[in-house]
Amino acid sequence: MSIIEVKNLCYTYGKGTPFEKTAVNDLSLSVDEGEVIGLIGHTGSGKSTFVQMLNGLIRPDSGQVLLNGRDIWSNPKEIRKIRFKVGMVFQYPEYQLFDETVYKDISFGPRNKGLSENEIDEVVRKSAKFVGLSDNLLQQSPFDLSGGEKRRAAIAGVISMDPDVLVLDEPTAGLDPLGRDVLLSQIMQYHKERKNTIFIVSHSMEDIAQIADRVMVMNKGRLEMIDTPKKVFSQIDRLEGMGLRVPQITKIMLSLKKRGFEFSDGILSVEQAFSEVVDLLKKEGKI
Amino acid sequence: MIRDVTLGQFIPSNSIVHKADPRVKIVLLVSFIVLIFCAFNFVSLALVTAAVLGIIILSNIPVKMYFKSLKVIIVIILITSVLNMFYGTGDPIWQFGFLKLTLSGIYRAVFVTVRIILLILISACLTFTTSPTDLTDAIERLMKPLKVFHIKVHEIAMMMTIALRFVPTLLEETDKIMSAQKARGADMESGGLIKKVKSMTPVLIPLFVSAFRRAYDLAMAMECRCYQGGDGRTRMKTLHIHRLDVFCIVFTALVITGVVLCDIFIAPII
Amino acid sequence: MSYISASNVKFSYDEKGKNVLNGVNLKVNKGEFVALLGHNGCGKSTMAKTLNAMLLPKEGVVYIDGMDTSDDEVTYEIRRRVGLVLQNPDNQLVASIIEEDVAFGPENLGLEPNEIRRRVDNALKAVDMYEYRTHAPHKLSGGQKQRVAIAGIIAMEPSCIVFDEPTAMLDPNGREEVMRTIKTLKEKGITIVLITHYMDEAVLADRVIVMDKGEILTEGTPESVFSQVNLLKKHSLDVPQATELAYKLIGAGIRFSKMPLTAYECVDFLEGVLS
Repeated sequence: MSIIEVKNLCYTYGKGTPFEKTAVNDLSLSVDEGEVIGLIGHTGSGKSTFVQMLNGLIRPDSGQVLLNGRDIWSNPKEIRKIRFKVGMVFQYPEYQLFDETVYKDISFGPRNKGLSENEIDEVVRKSAKFVGLSDNLLQQSPFDLSGGEKRRAAIAGVISMDPDVLVLDEPTAGLDPLGRDVLLSQIMQYHKERKNTIFIVSHSMEDIAQIADRVMVMNKGRLEMIDTPKKVFSQIDRLEGMGLRVPQITKIMLSLKKRGFEFSDGILSVEQAFSEVVDLLKKEGKI
Repeated sequence: MIRDVTLGQFIPSNSIVHKADPRVKIVLLVSFIVLIFCAFNFVSLALVTAAVLGIIILSNIPVKMYFKSLKVIIVIILITSVLNMFYGTGDPIWQFGFLKLTLSGIYRAVFVTVRIILLILISACLTFTTSPTDLTDAIERLMKPLKVFHIKVHEIAMMMTIALRFVPTLLEETDKIMSAQKARGADMESGGLIKKVKSMTPVLIPLFVSAFRRAYDLAMAMECRCYQGGDGRTRMKTLHIHRLDVFCIVFTALVITGVVLCDIFIAPII
Repeated sequence: MSYISASNVKFSYDEKGKNVLNGVNLKVNKGEFVALLGHNGCGKSTMAKTLNAMLLPKEGVVYIDGMDTSDDEVTYEIRRRVGLVLQNPDNQLVASIIEEDVAFGPENLGLEPNEIRRRVDNALKAVDMYEYRTHAPHKLSGGQKQRVAIAGIIAMEPSCIVFDEPTAMLDPNGREEVMRTIKTLKEKGITIVLITHYMDEAVLADRVIVMDKGEILTEGTPESVFSQVNLLKKHSLDVPQATELAYKLIGAGIRFSKMPLTAYECVDFLEGVLS
């Protein structure tokens, strides 16, 4: 069953002024429960505006966002409740930390949601664990944590609302390779246990290729493609035309394929590329 | 949402008022303000008014913008003029209890109202036609003599420059933090004043933290670019007095002379 | 003698604290392009700040063009010669108009107005931002802002520029713009030290130095450094996928004449092997 259905969504900034700019243009899609959707598009393609319409931070000019079949704007006064169901982690979320202790900061969302103290305690500890923050950090000031820990504390602050849909806007921006790998695997671990739906916006095609079930490509406010990573990343010319890259390994294998070698389309990992090259070499008796 | 906030009210154009040297404009603004309060009869008041209106026309700024700046203080204008009407001395024209309406009171009200309006118009004209950067720059140069009194002129000007530079950045940041906290269920719209102020804590603290971080970074970047205070520093843009500025100065001088002569030869009304 | 010569540099942020730099030896020749790699907290940013006398080593010495960075007399001369571009483009710009920001450095040097004008125009042209000279910084994209920050350094006419993760906060387009700018600066003969954790940027350098825990782990040409796939992986550093594939194929018994670092090199090589 589809958890989110988006119908003909449109949004224009600065309507009626000389700065008018259409950010999202007639976008429709439907996402099943438990899917991981990778969202790619270059800066200004409308992806930030789109994800902010999923939890009602931006109200569409026209079109609908249906959550479990119900328009999220059917009762505008209740829009705050939608934000507990569609959790959103902004870019550089560590810049939103504010409370005296990490514990209090993570409990901000659940408290706004109206949970009891016992429930809050449970969700705070659970979400801290999900992102790999040890218990002794919970009583520290969030400003004393290291950069990577701050990021994880901020993500825990959204996970603690236990949303059915989690939107992550460039969760790994500015992290080094180690920090990035750890964070992505924690998010995927969380996804496995919670089985919720995830939208992940990223500029890193390698990350998207690795974790997404489907990739949606936005360009100039429109939805250009939505398909499996394999199919999306095999359309290298079309993506490059939109100023987007594909993972390096995919590019290498596609170029070789163009030169007449028998490889499958949309190879996404070095392992797969390696085994296909070795197979071909064996077939030709070169090794 | 806080977007596209223009700081100051600078409206770019190519008019002669825009082109005039900002230092000259500030000095002339001060002279005009003094002059407005030195007009003691209708002839001199009319002269000043004509001069101000002339400048406004030359400024090439839509008249609508000037009305907007007046609208803000319309209540103050009304209150002072009404109060002044009943403040005069001499024979009452109309009386109600202790309220006495006199001719001198009416004159006084007219003068006060016109003066306030002229004051606002001429000041607005400066902010409309001069960019904030030019203003800080001119203030720094004009205040230079104050160094004798150990006033840190350069530092003050530098603070103003940096503030101007970072206002849009911090506004954008506020916007982002507000969205992020709303996404965590923060309720910033409902509730009374106290609740609203309290609900701003999750926005203000990250904002301060970020401002400190930026200040630290910027200080480092400035030192990397050999900043060591105002001593030995030169400027790329040097201001020169052109013929246009001389014209402005002469024009103002003529208006001043006119007003002084009127004040001498025509009896004061207030 | 090398343009930059740091020997046995040790540094810690507080007196008793652990050393962030633990005896680093670094030599960079005039006109060379060196990439300094390492994960967060390995000391590479601290190292960058010792190169223009923003930080002074606790032990050891840093010489820039023969001048000791701990000599107060030459602090500002060193900062003029070794420009430092930082990570966050927003926090490096001082003025609300691009050209005035670029003029900030030369103004601090006390130059003549005409000379400042000439340098500002040249610097803005060098980073391809001349037509934006009267714009306000907050209307620009991240890549454009970073290029303005670079222009602000170029205007001081340094002979060396140290880039401290200049692309970490930028999107792919911004990264490309900045890397293109760095390449043209290198062609103009400016010595470049690029601190990064993106491998695809490091492969452009003449020499790659890998740092870990305040020490130099390994250094050499990009080919020789990236061939040590195991070592890099052990220290949680990325290896370009092209190199990783080649590395695996070497393990399977295929001979590579030269380690491929980019997609093109890898494709050309594999084509040779397969056909």
